[in-house]
Parts: sequence; C-alpha cells; structure tokens
Amino acid sequence: MTAKIKEFPGTSLSEQDFKEGKVLFNFDKLNGIFAWDTGIGIGTYLAALKNGVILGSHCSTCRKTVVPPRTVCEWCYRPMDQYVPLKDTGTVNTFSLCYVTWDVKRIKEPLIPAVIEIDGASPLHGIMHMLGEVDPKDVKIGMRVQAVWKPAAERQGSINDILYFKPLKED
Amino acid sequence: MTLLQRDPNAPQAWVDNLPVENRYTYGLAGEKFFRTIKDEARIMGTHCPNCDHTYVPAAAFCERCLGKLDEWVDVGTVGEVVTFTLLNIGLDGKPLEKPEIIAFIRFGDGGLIHRLGEIDPEQIEIGLLVQAVFKPKNRRVGSILDIRYFKPA
Repeated sequence: MTAKIKEFPGTSLSEQDFKEGKVLFNFDKLNGIFAWDTGIGIGTYLAALKNGVILGSHCSTCRKTVVPPRTVCEWCYRPMDQYVPLKDTGTVNTFSLCYVTWDVKRIKEPLIPAVIEIDGASPLHGIMHMLGEVDPKDVKIGMRVQAVWKPAAERQGSINDILYFKPLKED
Repeated sequence: MTLLQRDPNAPQAWVDNLPVENRYTYGLAGEKFFRTIKDEARIMGTHCPNCDHTYVPAAAFCERCLGKLDEWVDVGTVGEVVTFTLLNIGLDGKPLEKPEIIAFIRFGDGGLIHRLGEIDPEQIEIGLLVQAVFKPKNRRVGSILDIRYFKPA
C-alpha cells in the first residue's frame, strides 16, 4: 500500500457472501492435465524408488556421486559412468517448519520439508523430502535420518514412495 | 545398460492435474446485468448521454469519455445477428453430430455472443432478428447461460 492512499475503493468478499448468494460469480476450473516426460535419469530414479532404492549416478572423472541421478556430469559435461544405489539414510542439511499447506491453509502442526544429504552421495548432495515421527522442536541441522517407505505393493514409482524421513537411532 | 538408455521399467511420464480453480465476480455493472437476467429475464445496458452510446452488456464507465454511467436501459430480448459461425468440433476436440451455431447478436451499440437454436444453419442470415430463450426462473443462477439460446424472432 502506498502512503498516500489509506483506503482502497472496492468491496471485500468473504466465503459467506458467496455461499449466501450475495454476489453473483462464475466458477471455472482450468483443464490442467499435464504429462511431464521423466527423461532417462529421473525415469530410472523413479523406477528404483519403486523397488525401494534411492539411486544416484557417479562420474569417475570428477569422483562425484549425485542424487537424483543425472546422465551428464554437471562439472565436466561428460556422460556419467554408472548408476549407484545409495543408502536410504542421510543427514539433514536444512529444513523448514511450515505452518501453511501447499494450498495455503493454516495448520497447527507444522510440515517439515528438509534437504537431506543422502549417505553414499558426495557431500552436500541430497534430495528434498519431508521429516516425520519427530517433534518439530527436536529437528536440528546435521540430524541423522532414515527413509520410511510405503509398503512395496503400494509403491508406484514416485518420490512419494518414500513417506518421510524419520530420526535414525544409531548405536 | 548404459546411462543413455531409457529404463524400460521406468515411468515414461509423470501425469498429473493442476488444481486451478477460479471465481470471477462480475463487478458493479456486471452484477446488476446478471441479477436482472436472473430475476427478471431482461437484458440491460447502460447509456452514455455524452457520447450517445448504449453499452451492452452494461458497463459502469464509458470507454469513450470515461464518464460514470448510471442511465440503465432495457434493450429488450430481440437482437440482430451481426455475424455467426458453425462449430463442428466440440471442446474435447471430437466432431459434433450437429454443428453448434455461435453468433454475435447486436443489442444497443454492443451485443452478446451466444448460441442460436431452433434454426437450420441454412436459414441464418446476417441481419436476422433473434430472441432470447431463457431458462425457467427457478433454474436461473445469474449466468449468461441463463439464456439457453437465441431463436428466430
């Protein structure tokens, strides 16, 4: 808002106004169906997730392992040499306590998206996922976590085949 | 298998739907325009005395002199076909059994784009007078589709 204008003309509407028919309106839905080509690297990654494996790819020139797998090395631009199965454990690189859902609804219990450096990948290489089975107050950067998978029968080759990552208790 | 080959077991594509919904409110003049269609089955316009121009659908401001419009006029339910087209393909891209007829129908100095009905495509000519066929009152919701179509007057 600008300093000069204190009050904007117009009528604020509440959900109630729409329900009571106080105001006429047109409701519409976009036909937003899309198909996104997974490509070679991500396609293979999703197929591996269905089998309960987090897959990375390795460049032997740069001695880098990245996750999710890419087909071309981002450092030397050569084709990657091989896919490597990684562990389903990792370390929290960063996280957020999110009190708003994707469709902008307020929630009491926060969602905890986090970037997780996957064990077996090069340092600072990880994936974004959710944390679960944890008190939001206890989440720390550097925390060790482990993937919680969907039952094998329900997996469909999606990043959601991992439900969330939970704190890992190491002996 | 090299890294440059597709995994035959991999999903080829991620298929999803963007959940995008919207509500469009018609604004000051539009609200009254659609409210009159809903409650009284009448088509309203606004007249600018300065420019002697009648806006249909009703507008709140004159596009020519930017003056405020508060002179509401009932333009009747009979308009004149200015131009029309036959649609042979539906929204889903499939051919239609019977072509749908869409016309621009003049009211005042403006007009409405709507369907024509109760008429064969061969019978339509530019300049034909057509009359609005409204839905029964209890089915009207305050939408342009409260007019089912226009038929020869």
